[in-house]
Amino acid sequence: MSQAGVAPRILIVEDDFVIALDLATQLVGAGYAVCEPARTTAAALQTIDADRPDMALLDVNLGHGETSFDIARGLILRQVPFVFLTGYRPTDLPRDLVEAPVLGKPCPFALLQREIGRLVPG
Amino acid sequence: MPFVAARGPDQNMRTLRQTIEVQVLEKHAPAHVVVNAAEEVVYFSTRTGPYLEHPRGAPERQLLGLTRPELRADVRAVLRAAMADRRHVSRRAFLVNDNRRTTVLIDAEPIGGDVTDTPDILLVFRTEPAGETAPSPDETANADVSRTEALERTICELNEKLQTTIEEYETAVEELKSANEEMLSVNEELQSTNEELEASKEELQSLNEELNTINSELTIKVDEIDRAHSDLRNLYESTQIATVFLDKNLVIRQFTPAAHKFFAIRKGDIGRPLTELASVNAFPDLQEQISMVFADGQIIERQFEFGADKLTYLVRLVPYRRSTGEIEGVVVTFFDVSHLARAQAQQEVLIAELNHRVKNMLTVVIGIVRRTLGGQTGPEFTARLLGRLQAMSRIYSLLSEEHWTDIDLGQLVGQEIAAFGPDRIRTEGDGVRVSPDVALPLSMVLHELATNAAKYGALSNTAGHVQVTWAAVGDRLTLGWAEYGGPAVTPREHDGFGVVLMKGQVEHQLGGTLGISFEPAGLRVEIDIPRQ
Repeated sequence: MSQAGVAPRILIVEDDFVIALDLATQLVGAGYAVCEPARTTAAALQTIDADRPDMALLDVNLGHGETSFDIARGLILRQVPFVFLTGYRPTDLPRDLVEAPVLGKPCPFALLQREIGRLVPG
Repeated sequence: MPFVAARGPDQNMRTLRQTIEVQVLEKHAPAHVVVNAAEEVVYFSTRTGPYLEHPRGAPERQLLGLTRPELRADVRAVLRAAMADRRHVSRRAFLVNDNRRTTVLIDAEPIGGDVTDTPDILLVFRTEPAGETAPSPDETANADVSRTEALERTICELNEKLQTTIEEYETAVEELKSANEEMLSVNEELQSTNEELEASKEELQSLNEELNTINSELTIKVDEIDRAHSDLRNLYESTQIATVFLDKNLVIRQFTPAAHKFFAIRKGDIGRPLTELASVNAFPDLQEQISMVFADGQIIERQFEFGADKLTYLVRLVPYRRSTGEIEGVVVTFFDVSHLARAQAQQEVLIAELNHRVKNMLTVVIGIVRRTLGGQTGPEFTARLLGRLQAMSRIYSLLSEEHWTDIDLGQLVGQEIAAFGPDRIRTEGDGVRVSPDVALPLSMVLHELATNAAKYGALSNTAGHVQVTWAAVGDRLTLGWAEYGGPAVTPREHDGFGVVLMKGQVEHQLGGTLGISFEPAGLRVEIDIPRQ
């Protein structure tokens, strides 16, 4: 989905504004394009269909008991790669998503960048 | 006599003879008595009065007791002689009545020959005619001679009688002596027997006392056992812990009523093997594990879920040991550990949640540090950074005090403005409570506003003041920040992150709106968020 020479577009799904802002700022600084950060499942699915991101960074817990698992399932359907960013342990993921890549919070940016590079080559 | 004619001549003769005999006996026969072997009179004839008399006191049958004292020795002598020798014995005795001496001839002879060992004795008393009472003068010389002979004879007889009496007396004394000795020895024997009896009695008494003591001890023991038994029964009845006592062959020895829940066990099942109960199938490897307990004496514990309500139980198999240490059976107990299992599960959830929160907060802190500093350094940035972190810390403390439940918005505002002079910040609002998800971003926004006012706005001089108002309208919550009397305000480019932070918190995080206007009187901020 990414075209040569064009920076990958990344969707951040995160309920905490500071984290979303910090992530977006770092990604933009590193040369990536970012969609408007989403904090709910509905907003995220809407952005996915509207902005067609090349990958997504998903916070698991979106507050008020909401999780990003349905967003992940939507991304799998659309064959958009994603990585979970979470303070939870990988074992807390539901059965159908245990294969998904997980990065622990707080994540060093270099590690995140490497993961992005792996999921969205070149 | 008509009856005489009616009988034959022989008969008449016999009757006549009998009549004559009776008459002779009654009127002409000498006085006589019959005594038995015990010297008791069994028959008296008529006219025994001169020889016998009844003594004073109770009626007497003993012949010697009845005999007149003057005749007693002679009667005794002839009676004994006749008895001993079984022959006829005769003897003369003298009786003196009114100064007249009469001679009495006493005859004794056994009756009926010597067929029996101790025959009855017939005693006949005859008074001899008193020839000497009135001697005639011509007979005087003759009489003297005969008197002398009579006297000599009398002396001889008296001598003889005296001799007999002496012999009898000596015999009696001898008999008395030996009787006395026998009595003495009998007495001694009786005394020693008595002493032995006394000793036996004492022994019996002490034995009795010991038995009494043992009995009371036994009673106490029985009481204690009764009490212990009753305690045990009450414990069984009251305990909620299902317990089954099994012996080596898995035979049920005892159980608590709570065990019914697991094995459908009844009182009548005591003595039956546990394996016979159909309900035991719910615990397939129980038998195997019990044999393990027997094998190595280890306590086996494991948890399992049981029943329709899926409660968690801890089953413990503990060896039942005798005082010798030998394993005699197994005690199976079931504890309901559902609450423990639930608590454990809850604890795991809480730890995971705490982990998540800590990591999320660290991520936020890292974000704030990075965004606040943005590659710049200096005291101003450090102060701004520390201020934001301290604001975070304050709201976390407040939420923690309220156990992360809804908190009063007035309290939140009061705490945030406390550091900036409460006298210059007036607050006005309803008693609205907000959830931690709302409280956290709002407190950050308030911190940004207060910091800004202190640096550039109404709190930066001595005259200005701030009005904070809030209200809950339907499912919305509005909060207003209005500054008065500060320096003239203009939109500023400095610290753009503060504004970005506020807008982001309200619009991104809370899904609300944040309006900023720069009025002549001062900065004005209107926040409108859903209350959730």
